[in-house]
Amino acid sequence: MSLSSDLDKQIAQLKRCEIIPESAVKELCQKAKEILMEEGNVQYVDSPVTICGDIHGQFFDMMELFKIGGLCPETNYIFMGDFVDRGFHSVETFLLLLLLKVRYPDRITLIRGNHESRQITQVYGFYDECQRKYGSSNVWRYCCDVFDYLSLGCVVDGRVFCVHGGLSPQVTRLDHIRVIDRRQEVPHEGPMCDLLWSDPDDINGWGMSPRGAGFLFGDDVVRQFNHENDIELIARAHQLVMEGYKLMFDRKIVTVWSAPNYCYRCGNTASVLELDENLRQEYKVFDAAPQDARSIPQKRPMMHEYFL
Amino acid sequence: MSSPTTSSSLYPIHLLMDELKSEDVVLRLSSIRRLSTIALALGPQRTREELIPFLQDQLDDEDEVLLVLAEELGNFAEYVGGNEYAWVVLGPLENLAAVEETLVRDKAAESISKLSTLLNASQIEEHLLPLLQRLSQGDWFTSRTSACALYAAPYPIASTGVQEEMRKLFAALTTDETPMVRRAAAKALGPFAKSVAEVTDQHSILISDIIPLYRKLAGDDQDSVRLLTIPDLIAIAAALNPEEVKEHILEPLRSSVTDKSWRVRYMVANEFVGLAEGVGESIIREELVNAFVGLLKDNEAEVRTAAAGQIPGFAKLVDKEVILAKLLPCVRDLATDSSQHVRASLAMQISGLAPLLGTDSTVENLLPLFLQLLKDDFSDVRLNLIGKLDMVNEVIGIERLSQALLPAIMELAEDKQWRVRQAIIEYIPLLAQQLGVQFFDDKLGQLCMSWLGDTVFSIREAATINLKKLTDVFGVEWAKSTIIPKVLEMGDHQNYLYRMTTIFAITTMAPSLNVPIIRDTVLESALNLANDPIPNIRFNVAKCLETLAAVLATTPEGQEIISRKVIAALKKLQEDSDADVRFFATKAFERTAGDNGEPMGESDHSLLTEWHGVLISWE
Repeated sequence: MSLSSDLDKQIAQLKRCEIIPESAVKELCQKAKEILMEEGNVQYVDSPVTICGDIHGQFFDMMELFKIGGLCPETNYIFMGDFVDRGFHSVETFLLLLLLKVRYPDRITLIRGNHESRQITQVYGFYDECQRKYGSSNVWRYCCDVFDYLSLGCVVDGRVFCVHGGLSPQVTRLDHIRVIDRRQEVPHEGPMCDLLWSDPDDINGWGMSPRGAGFLFGDDVVRQFNHENDIELIARAHQLVMEGYKLMFDRKIVTVWSAPNYCYRCGNTASVLELDENLRQEYKVFDAAPQDARSIPQKRPMMHEYFL
Repeated sequence: MSSPTTSSSLYPIHLLMDELKSEDVVLRLSSIRRLSTIALALGPQRTREELIPFLQDQLDDEDEVLLVLAEELGNFAEYVGGNEYAWVVLGPLENLAAVEETLVRDKAAESISKLSTLLNASQIEEHLLPLLQRLSQGDWFTSRTSACALYAAPYPIASTGVQEEMRKLFAALTTDETPMVRRAAAKALGPFAKSVAEVTDQHSILISDIIPLYRKLAGDDQDSVRLLTIPDLIAIAAALNPEEVKEHILEPLRSSVTDKSWRVRYMVANEFVGLAEGVGESIIREELVNAFVGLLKDNEAEVRTAAAGQIPGFAKLVDKEVILAKLLPCVRDLATDSSQHVRASLAMQISGLAPLLGTDSTVENLLPLFLQLLKDDFSDVRLNLIGKLDMVNEVIGIERLSQALLPAIMELAEDKQWRVRQAIIEYIPLLAQQLGVQFFDDKLGQLCMSWLGDTVFSIREAATINLKKLTDVFGVEWAKSTIIPKVLEMGDHQNYLYRMTTIFAITTMAPSLNVPIIRDTVLESALNLANDPIPNIRFNVAKCLETLAAVLATTPEGQEIISRKVIAALKKLQEDSDADVRFFATKAFERTAGDNGEPMGESDHSLLTEWHGVLISWE
């Protein structure tokens, strides 16, 4: 009881975009690992649930997402990775999601994206942000340890497969994912890498990915996979889509993107996918939080700076 | 070493030195932040004799560290022995004022200004003036740029002779060859002019020495310099009488208003009200009305946007006839401006004209514009206007406003931008209060219910809050016959989001309901939903029951219902298969059964309310 009220306090603090002390982060990450350790590589999730794509540290836009989709725990959520990097508030974004996970483990599912990696976060901002906000790399290290425990995917009611990137030539059945030892840094190749890096494309079969990791996969691959695993939809993130979501291959796969005005300049809308208790899909699109909802840094430089 | 010291009293400064030499920036930063503690430990004399000289040599560091140092030193007078010794700190700050990084220089200049007000006239002559000379005549533009900001603060304290020297140095900066320095001078001129004006008997010096500097900068080749002279103009005008304004600054003012660079005109437009207040009535009448009209019609959208933002502020300074004859035609044009930003800026401000125009004129002239702006394609325009309608309301009365605007409001109630819908919802209780129950039921009742099924969670939530407020306006019997049946109907919907809304609505409305209504209507629905297949519904039922119990507990009959029905349901939920249901049921049970009186004691009626507070505060 006192544990949950401590967590509630920290959640309230993070919701104001204020960070919690390093010692609290350490404890939080420890608890998160204990919970995540029990989850499968492919976690089972019940409907109704709301599925979200990349957030990339856009904290205030994530709060906008909660305004559209409802709050956790009232609404159940799946976040399909890429919580961190690029945006200004990766620390706050990931810690809030992690707090919600620890407080309401059955109401929120976090799966790993290609940015939940030691290597990538050192290049794209999360590492530097931790350094800046905590004065050391400890928080980054605690968070990276949690990354290693995140599930690689999840299945809603056995029918909707959620994964950050896409499919892998080495994964024709969901069971193939279950045998991966996921507790490691994202490898440069192999099934675990592919799940986090691949993209669907208008090709036949498999193709080389221009990203240098994972593969491109076509209509036939998705059809085959969905048929063999009795899946009706693959929900994935990983690629910016200007309209917020994009259905492909006869509605057998969808890209859900949840970072509006990506990098504060792409001008795209974002979306979440609401699955009701009958797995009926409803896509809710939303735009970036209004300027006054954000604290510094500003999207545009101040007028005076611009003049000088 | 100046005094015999033990190793322990040496410790702080050695520790500091060690930390300042550390490889780790964080360590260096933290030691700089603790500078005052170290100074305190050393005492004033050793701070002056050891710490300050040491710091003077410690300038080869990261900008981040230097920035903190520049700030700390501004508060250092008390650690070096009080005002008498404040000048000692100027040494390291002078070096910091010449570094490359602008942030550090600005902070150093700020600290120097702060310290300079603690000095007396002879200290200024002995210590500050040489510093000003060195910085103002430095080889690098960085130091000369920093110097500009240093004149305003000490000027009133300095002796007449030093003042003259300061004016000369400053004048040289205004004709510096680098635009960066001239920009800094233009920025500093306003505060400097204010300082000069503060000194008794220097009014003539202001006119003879300072105004020429302003005129020179206002005519600079570079528009980036000229635009910075607008605040100077305001500062100088404040110190002059109307005649002097006309004689000395009217002409440069005219050129600024029609400057060929839009950035200068933008600056004028943006500062227009301040400018007008400074120059006084007759010039407003003779010059500024037409100047303002010119800016409202400017070719550049940025200028029109800025000018539109000044409309009500400027309108306050002129007669109603002028508003009608001169400003309103421009306002009409702006309402159909090709730039959405101009229209949004106008929509934000136009309501401010209503109190100035009075009832009839508002109805005649502004209402048509409101209608037009409410139909604008750009959602910010609509939102900006709705947010300020209450000002109009006060002038022409809600009835006239609502009749004129109701069709537009009905349309906005279904706006595709959810924030527009939200703004309308928040306006509904006020409308309801003024329109009365009959009119409301006819025109708005349906609308209020439709928001409960909105696709956006925040709108559904606002809709439930709206229902509570309406219940407060029209009474519980009205709620029982009109809204509650519809709310409960949604509890049977096959999509869980609707059922969830039923529970949220009951929870939100509960404090406005009474025991018989809870007993006869909402309680049964809530209890039914306790068996819902979706756990999220069940734990919200637990929270809902806790809220309902708080109301029920106020009468003996209600208490009996609690023990007969509510407690039983909560007990069952405590056995639920879902952990969160068990958690919230247990919490609700403890609060309801624990002290059968005030279950709501701690204002934690749900996480929802707390979230709501956070979300609302961001609007």
